Amino acid sequence: MEAVIEAIAVAMREDPRVFYIGQDVGAMQGSMQGTKGLWEEFGPMRIREAPISESAMVGAALGAALFGQRPIVEISFGEFLPAAMNQLINQAPNLHYMTGGTARVPVVVRTRVGDGPYGGHPQDYSAWFAHVPGWKVVMPATPVDAKGMMTAAIRDDGPVLFFEGMSLSHAARAPVPLDAFETPIGPARIAREGRDVTVVAVGSSLPLAVRAAGELAAEGIELEILDLRTLRPLDRDAILASVRRTRRLITVHEAWVAGGIGAEVVASVVEEAPEVLVAPVIRIGAAAVPVPSGKVRPHALPNARHIVEAARRVMAGTRA
Amino acid sequence: MLAPVEAKGLSEGLRLYGWMALSRELDEVLCAANPRWFPSAGEEAAMVGAFCDLRPDDAIAAHYRGPLVIYMMRGAEMARLVAQVLGKVGGYNKGRSVPFTGPVDLKIVPWVAGDLGTSLGVATGAALAFQQEGSDRICVCTFGDGTANRGDFHENLNLAASWRLPIVYVCQHNGWAISQPAKDYLPAPVANRAAGYAIPGLEVDGNDVDAVRRTMMGAIARAREGNGPSLIEARTWRAKGHWAADPQDYRAIHPDTPMADPLVRYGDRLIQRGEASATDLDRLRDAARAAVASTLEAVRVLPDTGEAELGLDEVHP
Ligand SMILES: Cc1ncc(C[n+]2csc(CCOP(=O)(O)OP(=O)(O)O)c2C)c(N)n1
Repeated sequence: MEAVIEAIAVAMREDPRVFYIGQDVGAMQGSMQGTKGLWEEFGPMRIREAPISESAMVGAALGAALFGQRPIVEISFGEFLPAAMNQLINQAPNLHYMTGGTARVPVVVRTRVGDGPYGGHPQDYSAWFAHVPGWKVVMPATPVDAKGMMTAAIRDDGPVLFFEGMSLSHAARAPVPLDAFETPIGPARIAREGRDVTVVAVGSSLPLAVRAAGELAAEGIELEILDLRTLRPLDRDAILASVRRTRRLITVHEAWVAGGIGAEVVASVVEEAPEVLVAPVIRIGAAAVPVPSGKVRPHALPNARHIVEAARRVMAGTRA
Repeated sequence: MLAPVEAKGLSEGLRLYGWMALSRELDEVLCAANPRWFPSAGEEAAMVGAFCDLRPDDAIAAHYRGPLVIYMMRGAEMARLVAQVLGKVGGYNKGRSVPFTGPVDLKIVPWVAGDLGTSLGVATGAALAFQQEGSDRICVCTFGDGTANRGDFHENLNLAASWRLPIVYVCQHNGWAISQPAKDYLPAPVANRAAGYAIPGLEVDGNDVDAVRRTMMGAIARAREGNGPSLIEARTWRAKGHWAADPQDYRAIHPDTPMADPLVRYGDRLIQRGEASATDLDRLRDAARAAVASTLEAVRVLPDTGEAELGLDEVHP
């Protein structure tokens, strides 16, 4: 999260057109301290405290972008994206295409999803947006990518949805280069090489996959972990290249399974090269219940054990 | 081709009359050519009066009913707009959006999907951009009395009032939302709501272009001077159906009271003031009719939009 703030601060120093709209982003320093230091440095005109009016916030960001600014609009938690759905679905992704390719709306929508330190607002609707042409949808899993992809998102001339997995805010820390650098939107990243099973992990599921890989290595099963990074456009080539090597596939994300991004990952293999698969694929995600807010929640969400068991099943189910 | 009202030497009054007359003529022809077009006859004074006193660098977001002449007032080409309505090549939108959109480079908030209410948000954002850049540009946004009941109305007026954004919101109150009469969905005038945001709220006779302009002038000055938004409710009357081929059976069930034709009213006034003769007015209407007819003729023979405009590579900039 510090990495995201750092990317925003660097961009705001470089470009006076970049400004920020959100709730509690000023004196409080942001939900989960997500804008720490920005208000002190840039003041209330560039770090804008907005009323609880998510539709107006996104609409105003789109309009400001259409007229030359480069706003970042924060929806405190992904569960509030539906409050702005008309702007997010009927406007943002359509503006460039439907104006015959003339309108430019460089807007970043930043939000938080999944389980986190406070347990509130855990539901992850990222897949809804990956469905829609015109959006770029990213969900970085590491501090370096968080900074690099936020920088890329701010510099993009179209709308980008930036999802932060809340459990990652207290995840492993890593040194992040101080200067501005871009992690391109689109390409997935091999987080771990392995010969046996490809695990395509999204955002907060990456640490689970890494943990599972450690455990499975002791049994002689080597996971190859693909950190998806971008939900749209999907890096079908990287997925296919990895599965061509391992011939087995598991997908894991915190969002629900049905109609989820995992299904799209699987499709990118079976549409192109179904013959490479030597075992059934397994998709892991939230249980098919509204994600509970109370102590039931961990039972609804994916964990490392699910991945370990899935990998064992995939290996056992491998055709001769 | 130049619109007839762009002819040199016309007085301000005649130019305004000319735009309203052009709108009327264009509307008639488009309704005949496209049964799904949304007629704007009778609402010209509200439409033209809301936008005629802006600078070219200001932004506009026009209500979907009757915006084409507003776009032409800013320099859009009639033929390209007509192409949008007839589904022909040459439209600004390449056949990809609802037809009542206008070119973005003329500082027009485009219509894309046609969901009502969202344009208030984007228009508010235009005003936000102007405040961010520290200029005295403003935005004018018109919308229907039905659209006034979208949550976006409240969210955006409240946000614009909180941030003192340079914008004028104008409700083009024509008394209808498709088949629903306004009395069934508006318990109080829309302008009354301004009190809740502590901004000026003004009702005006929307069929009197001078009255609309006078009211707009105050609101425009207020926005330009950095004193924040205003809400104006221009009372007009939907003379025709919701769409051109609308049988309007509901009108017998909910009878309404016609308002005097704004074109006739303004023409009479110009004559009374000695600014124009009946012949001047006739000449302008004839010129408008001729311009529309020749544009339609030229556009009709163009090919329909099709696969060539699909633009798979124009989804992202
Ligand atoms: C969000 C949304 N809801 C419903 C519609 C369908 N619709 C199209 S026009 C219209 C009536 C709008 O009434 P008003 O805003 O008063 O404008 P008018 O048609 O009277 O000019 C409706 C309900 C829509 N386009 N968008």
